[in-house]
Amino acid sequence: MTQPRFLRSARIAAAGLAVGAMLLTGCAATVNKSAGTDAGANANAFLTIPREDMSTFDRNFNPFAPTVNPMVQQAIYEPLMVFNPAKGNTVPWLGASWDAAKDGKSVTFTLREGVKWSDGQPFVADDVAYTFQLQKKLKGGFEYLDSVTPSGTDKVTFTFNKPWSPALYEIGQLPIIPKHIWSSIADPAKDTNANPVGTGPYTQVDSFQSQSFVLKKNPNYWQPDKQKIAGIKMLAMSGNDAANLASVNGDVDWSTQFIPNIEKTFIAKDKDHRHFWFPPTGAMINWQLNTSKAPFNDATVRKALSMAVDRDQVTKIGMSGYATPADCTGLSGNYASWKNADVANNCTWTKLNVDEANKMLDAAGYPKGADGKRTLKDGKPFEFKISVGASSSDWLSVANVISQNLQAIGVTAKVDSPDWASVVSSYEQGTFDTGIVWSANDPSPFKYFSSTMGTSTVKPVGAKATENYHRFGDPKADDLLQQFAAAGDEAAQKQIASQLQAEYNAVAPTVPLFSGPEWGDYTDVHFTGWPTQDNPYATLSDRSPTTVLVLTTLEPRK
Amino acid sequence: MRFILRRLGFYLIAFWASITLNFLLPRFMPGDPVSRMFARTQGKMQPEQIEALRKMLGVDTRPLWEQYVDYMHNILTGQMGVSISRFPTPVTEVIASQIGWTLLLGGTALVFAAIIGNLLGILAAWRRGGAIDSALPPLLIFIGSFPYFWLAMGALYLFGVVLGWFPIRHAFTDGLEPAFTWEFIGDVGAHLVLPALTIVLVSIGGWMLGMRNTMIATNAEDYITMAEAKGLRPGRIMLRYAARNAMLPSVTSFGMSLGFVVGGAMLTEVVFAYPGVGYQLLNAVQGLDYPLMQGLFLTITAAVLLANFLVDILYVRLDPRVRSN
Repeated sequence: MTQPRFLRSARIAAAGLAVGAMLLTGCAATVNKSAGTDAGANANAFLTIPREDMSTFDRNFNPFAPTVNPMVQQAIYEPLMVFNPAKGNTVPWLGASWDAAKDGKSVTFTLREGVKWSDGQPFVADDVAYTFQLQKKLKGGFEYLDSVTPSGTDKVTFTFNKPWSPALYEIGQLPIIPKHIWSSIADPAKDTNANPVGTGPYTQVDSFQSQSFVLKKNPNYWQPDKQKIAGIKMLAMSGNDAANLASVNGDVDWSTQFIPNIEKTFIAKDKDHRHFWFPPTGAMINWQLNTSKAPFNDATVRKALSMAVDRDQVTKIGMSGYATPADCTGLSGNYASWKNADVANNCTWTKLNVDEANKMLDAAGYPKGADGKRTLKDGKPFEFKISVGASSSDWLSVANVISQNLQAIGVTAKVDSPDWASVVSSYEQGTFDTGIVWSANDPSPFKYFSSTMGTSTVKPVGAKATENYHRFGDPKADDLLQQFAAAGDEAAQKQIASQLQAEYNAVAPTVPLFSGPEWGDYTDVHFTGWPTQDNPYATLSDRSPTTVLVLTTLEPRK
Repeated sequence: MRFILRRLGFYLIAFWASITLNFLLPRFMPGDPVSRMFARTQGKMQPEQIEALRKMLGVDTRPLWEQYVDYMHNILTGQMGVSISRFPTPVTEVIASQIGWTLLLGGTALVFAAIIGNLLGILAAWRRGGAIDSALPPLLIFIGSFPYFWLAMGALYLFGVVLGWFPIRHAFTDGLEPAFTWEFIGDVGAHLVLPALTIVLVSIGGWMLGMRNTMIATNAEDYITMAEAKGLRPGRIMLRYAARNAMLPSVTSFGMSLGFVVGGAMLTEVVFAYPGVGYQLLNAVQGLDYPLMQGLFLTITAAVLLANFLVDILYVRLDPRVRSN
């Protein structure tokens, strides 16, 4: 008797919950009335991409937001130029050409003709100037920039307060926003820019839900013949597992999260259509030794430790064999065109050589005791920690391999893996021993070298550092960096970069481990024209400046 | 009445203590939101930008007590500020856009687990040593002690991928417009089955065992023997005499669980890519997003305390002993 009544009221309660949930979540979604109707019919026409790092989306297309929505800087707003690390070339984009002054103190861009914003207004030099004005006001940076002067509608000149050649790529790759829209927004930092106006190929936000949204064609795009896909559909995923399932199941066309054992789990399901390509164009991953502490202030020790590391094992076990071991130039595959072949072909301390490492440590005054363990100069045991964030399972196994390798030279390294937050905090304060750390990955190696061995980036222990965590400065490198900044043309820059590599090889500021791979996989069931090793017109990254190159090349399978 | 007033006083103090902890604990974590953000871009930001970002995000650098006074004031006036990790979306908006799904998933799972679990517990205790009593508790405890992640992945793979009975991600089909149509409600229901089912599976054993054990004690009471002697129908004795009196502990845990539903089911959200506040909370903690963390903790605290308070009031109705005391 009681039982059915009880169940009935439970059912009503459950229904009430469902209705309540829809009221709460549905209200944000009714903005676009036109959606839904055609979405089912064209489901395959959208290029579908998961975002494994965003559990939900906000309707926030503000390009200045600290966490920008996907595709805002790839499909909606465009930069003046695109640097493609896969081939090492630069593709003129909104800027048709540019001219860097010989003294390195200015650069002039000539803008492309006939470019329009998605609302039909013409794209002019004033927009570029305004973008930099707003960027500096809201997010800072670009402190070398003295002025940005538009002349006419198609030329804009950037002048610097010092010779600063690395500026070219930094300026060239900043996405440009329309002045006629943003100058009338009262608080640009806090505006959510729900219906963005950009010059990019896919600007029209459609079917926006917190779990997915679609970007449709810009009706006024400057390369209408290259908008061959109907639109881009982004899916929100909380974590790699959900995204991997979508990739393996063939629900998405393109993904960039790490898929373990990709040949078996992903490719093997459909060998004809599924492909991956992991070019070594990611950042150099270093084992950073805190050079403000003994014995890491001794270059011989750094080199000896480096020689004890088996990089083949590190990349094979830690990175599933997808990473390329580093050489003694310290440069990752991203800087392939900058590499000094003389240095790279004569590396010693980045190659496994346990005997030599033992000899070097013996000679440098770190004797091996009877138990086979070394001691420091003050008699204490040669022991330290390797810090890695607990959530990075790949880097954790890298650290474990290193720790095992070091036993062969009588050095004890303990892997310490708290939360990334406290690891980074110890990096910033300079209290860590050693750690597995990323590095700068720009088109030009200037920032990489300045944050690896420039004195200006060294902060005292206890003061918060945001780069050069290992606190290494070299006056000789400073000289070279200064020359690099002042060098007007790329040939001169390359020559100085060669000397920087030789210096890096001499002082070993960090222990380079491997070039981080740029993860990327796709299925060409619905779309063709993907970048590959044979046609490296871009990388397979879906969140870097080269992404727009892929978006304007793909076409539906016929 | 005095009982309720006294409880109310207790809840006010508990509320103050917990919101103070909500304020303090995140601030004891190392680092600050901007340097977290900076580290996460792995060198793609310029160091000179840190100051500007701090200003833009409104990161507070005043002494703790000043921040605390402000924080209390904001809570009492219902201002939760702007989320840092999802800048410039206000905290209320971030929570509001997710909480519905959290409540739907957690609420459905809880209601089903509690009802089925309690009914099974009643039956098991009533027929002690019978089929239900000897087979189900070990089985359910066995399932319940599986790592949840593993169980959820297994269910997702079997029923979602291999058999294809249920959708494998999200709260409804992408591209569908939320509306009060049977199509949409059915779609939401279909997406709800797997996530809710896995939660029910792991939590049902607790409900069943709890109910069974109290019920066995109740079955030994004299009034049950009395009811049997009067010749009442066994079903009536089971439900109205035994189960009704054995229900109190279950009501308490139902109230507690109801409050915690608001915190979201993080692992479920991760496995089924189900929208909700659980993953949001994890992100907020990792990014040191103070305003969002405070907002979420406040919501959870308030929900737990409110649910407990409601249970307390319900107790007055259910248990005469509380009234007379």
